[in-house]
Amino acid sequence: MWIPLRPIAILIELAILIGIIFSIFNGLMFTLFDYRLDPKYQPFIKWVLITMGFLGLVFFIAHLIAFYPRLGSPSRF
Amino acid sequence: MEFEKLFWARQQVYILKIFLPIIFGFLILSVGLIALFIFSFWKRHYKLWQLGKEEDRSGQVGKRLRTLLAVIFANYRLWEEPYPGTMHFLIFWGVLLLSLGKVIRIFSLLVGLTNPPQSIFLIASFISESGGGWVIVGGAMAVFRRYILKPTRLDTKPERTLIFIWGFLLLLTGYFIKGYRISAAGISVPMNWYFWAPISYPLSKFFLTLPSQALNELLIWHRVFIHAIPASIFFIYITLSHSPLKHFFLSPINIYFRSLKPKSVLLPLPDIEEAETFGVREISEFTWKQLLDLEACTACGRCQDVCPAFLSGKPLSPKKMTQNLKEMLWRQAPFLLSKPMDGKKEPEPIVGSTVKEEELWACTACMACEEVCPIYIEQIPRNIDLRRYLVLMETKFPSGLKGVFKNLMNNHNPWGMSRGARADWAKGLKVGILSKGPERGILFWVGCAGSFDDRNISVTISLVSILKSIGISFWILGTEEGCCGDPARRTGNEYLFKTFAESNIEILQKYGVKQILTMCPHCFHTLKNEYPQFGGKFDVVHYTQFLADLLSKGIIKLTKPIQKTITYHDSCYLGRGNQIYGAPRKILKSIPGLRIVEMKRHGRRSFCCGAGGGRMWLEENIGTRINQMRTLEAYGTKAELVGTACPYCLTMLRDGIKEIGKEEVLSVFDIGELVERAL
Repeated sequence: MWIPLRPIAILIELAILIGIIFSIFNGLMFTLFDYRLDPKYQPFIKWVLITMGFLGLVFFIAHLIAFYPRLGSPSRF
Repeated sequence: MEFEKLFWARQQVYILKIFLPIIFGFLILSVGLIALFIFSFWKRHYKLWQLGKEEDRSGQVGKRLRTLLAVIFANYRLWEEPYPGTMHFLIFWGVLLLSLGKVIRIFSLLVGLTNPPQSIFLIASFISESGGGWVIVGGAMAVFRRYILKPTRLDTKPERTLIFIWGFLLLLTGYFIKGYRISAAGISVPMNWYFWAPISYPLSKFFLTLPSQALNELLIWHRVFIHAIPASIFFIYITLSHSPLKHFFLSPINIYFRSLKPKSVLLPLPDIEEAETFGVREISEFTWKQLLDLEACTACGRCQDVCPAFLSGKPLSPKKMTQNLKEMLWRQAPFLLSKPMDGKKEPEPIVGSTVKEEELWACTACMACEEVCPIYIEQIPRNIDLRRYLVLMETKFPSGLKGVFKNLMNNHNPWGMSRGARADWAKGLKVGILSKGPERGILFWVGCAGSFDDRNISVTISLVSILKSIGISFWILGTEEGCCGDPARRTGNEYLFKTFAESNIEILQKYGVKQILTMCPHCFHTLKNEYPQFGGKFDVVHYTQFLADLLSKGIIKLTKPIQKTITYHDSCYLGRGNQIYGAPRKILKSIPGLRIVEMKRHGRRSFCCGAGGGRMWLEENIGTRINQMRTLEAYGTKAELVGTACPYCLTMLRDGIKEIGKEEVLSVFDIGELVERAL
C-alpha cells in the first residue's frame, strides 16, 4: 500500500471502530431491556448512546488523522 | 527474563514492561469473566429452573454423555439438513479451533514456545487462523440464509443481527493483530508464515507501519486492545443478556438431561388422590426440565417445519409456543423469585394468555417436533400438562371431547358402543375368550377401533384369520377388555386414564397374561410403555413385529401375488414413538408382486394422519385437513394402494381419499389385510 492510500486505510479503521462501538452500545441496550427496564426509556437511552457514539467518532477521526502511520514500507506484493 | 526479547515475529518486544503485564491483566480479567459467568448462570438460569417441580433425570450417565458428545462434536441431528448442518459445523468447530489456538498462543511465551517459534506454536497459529476462516465461511452461510434466503421458520431479531456484526468484527480485529505484527517485523518474518498464518500474512501486506520499532509495538498493542476489549465485552454481553448465543451452554445441558424413555411417554400425575391441583396452570408448575427446555430453545424452527398443525394452517407453531413460554418465564422471573409477601398477586395462567386454547388443542401429539429437535426439547408432555389443567381443573375442553369422555366412562370405548358388544366381531370365528378357558398362548388385545369400527373390524378378522391359519394359539379378553386409555391420556384426562390402566392391569394380571399382541399402535404404546407406571409389565408386541418375525422364521409364507404399487404410511406411535419402521416394510416386501414406493415424508419424518392427540374426535375447521394433505402426498407417489398399520390412520386416510375424490385410483389397506390376501 502506498502512502496516498492512507485516507482509505483511515476510513476502513474508522468503519471497524464505529462497528465496534455500535456493537457494544447495542449489546448494552439489549442487556438493559433484558433486565426489564421500562421500554419507555428506550428513546432516551438510544439518544444518549448515539451522542456518545458520535463523540467517539469525532475522537477516532482526530486520533487517526494525527497518529495513523504516514511513513511505511510500500506494499511488498 | 530479559528486558527485551526477540518475539516470534523476530521483533524486539518489551516483555516485562508491556507484554507480560498485559497478559497477566488479561488472565485476571478472564478469571473475573468466568466468575461473572458462573454468577449469572446461577442467578439467571439455575435459580429459575429451581422454580419448577422435581423430576428425576439422573442415571444412565454413560448413555447421556454419549449423546451429548455426539451432538456437540459431530453435530449429530443437525446434518439431516445439509446447509444448516454444514453452517453450524463450520461455526462450532471454527470457534473451537480458534479458541484452542488462542489458548496455546497466550501461554506460549511463558513456556518458551515462541523463541524461536516452535512447531506447536506454528501449528497453533495455523489452527487458530483456519478456525477463524471456518467461522467466517459458516457465518457467511448463516447471513446468506437468514437475510437472503429467509426461510419462514426463522425470525430475525436485532439480537441475532448484532451477533453477526460483532462476531465478524472480532474475527477481523483478531487477524489484524497478527497482520500488524507480521507487517511490523517486515522482511524478517520467514516466508513459510504464508502457510502458518494463511489469512493474517496476506493481510499484513496492506498495513502501514510506523518508522520505529517502539512505535510499531505501540500500534500493535492498540490493535490488541481494539480486539480484546470488545471481545471481553462480547462475552459479558452474552453472559448477562438473554442472547441466543447462550445456547452454547444451555443446549448441552438440555441434551444431557434429555428423556431416555420412548418418545411421548407421559408421566402420571403425582399424588393424584391427594393433590389439590392437576396439570400446569402457571409457568412455575412445569418441571425444572420443562423450564430448561424453554430456555434452551434456539428458535431454529425445525419443529415448525414438520408440525402438521402448523403446516395445515392451524394456530399452532411449536417454535412460537416455546418461545412465547420462554418470554413468559423471563417476564415473570423477578416476581417468581421474589420472597413471598402479603398481597402477592396470583401468577398469570398460561392458557388464555401466552398459549391460546385452540393452539393447544391443535396438537396431534405426533412427535414430529421432538424427532427433529437437535437439542431434544420435549413438546408433547408439556402440551398434555397444559391440557390436564384445563380438563381436570377447569373442565374446559373442545365440545367434541365431551361425548368421548362420557363414552369412555360409561362404555369403556370412545365410540359409545355397548361394552357388551365388544366381542361381537368374533361371533362365529371361534376365537377363545380368556375368561372361558385356561390361559394359553398370546393375548390378542383388539382395541376399541378393532372391536367397534366396521372398517377396522375387517382388519381384526384378517389378523385372526392369519393367526388361525398358521396355528398360533391366542385368546382375547372379550367384554373384559376396556379402552387402553390413550384417548383420555392424550386429551389430558389423566384421572380417567388411570382408572382404565388400573382396571385393565388388574384383569390382565388376574389371568396371568405375559405376552400381548396388539393391533393398534396407540394401544401398543400405552400397554408397553405407560402401563409399567402402574405396575403392569407385559411383553407387548405389535402385530407387524409379530408377523415380520414369523416371516423371518419361515412360519408364514406369502405366495399369492398382489400386482400393485403401494406406499406405506408410518403411524406416529409405531414409528417415532417406538422406532418400528422396518417390520411393516419387511412384511410388504414379502408379498409377491407388490411394489413399494415411499412418500417424500416417511420413516422418522413421516407426516401425521391428523388423528393423534385426541384429534380423531375433534372437528377440524381451520386450515386444510391434515388427512387430506397426507392423502395427497400418497396420491403423488402414483401408488394404487396406501398401507397402514394403525386403525386411526386407516380411518383418516380412507376419509382423505373420499374427500379428495380419488377413490377410483387409490385405496387404503391395513397391512394385516394384505397379508391375509397373500397367504
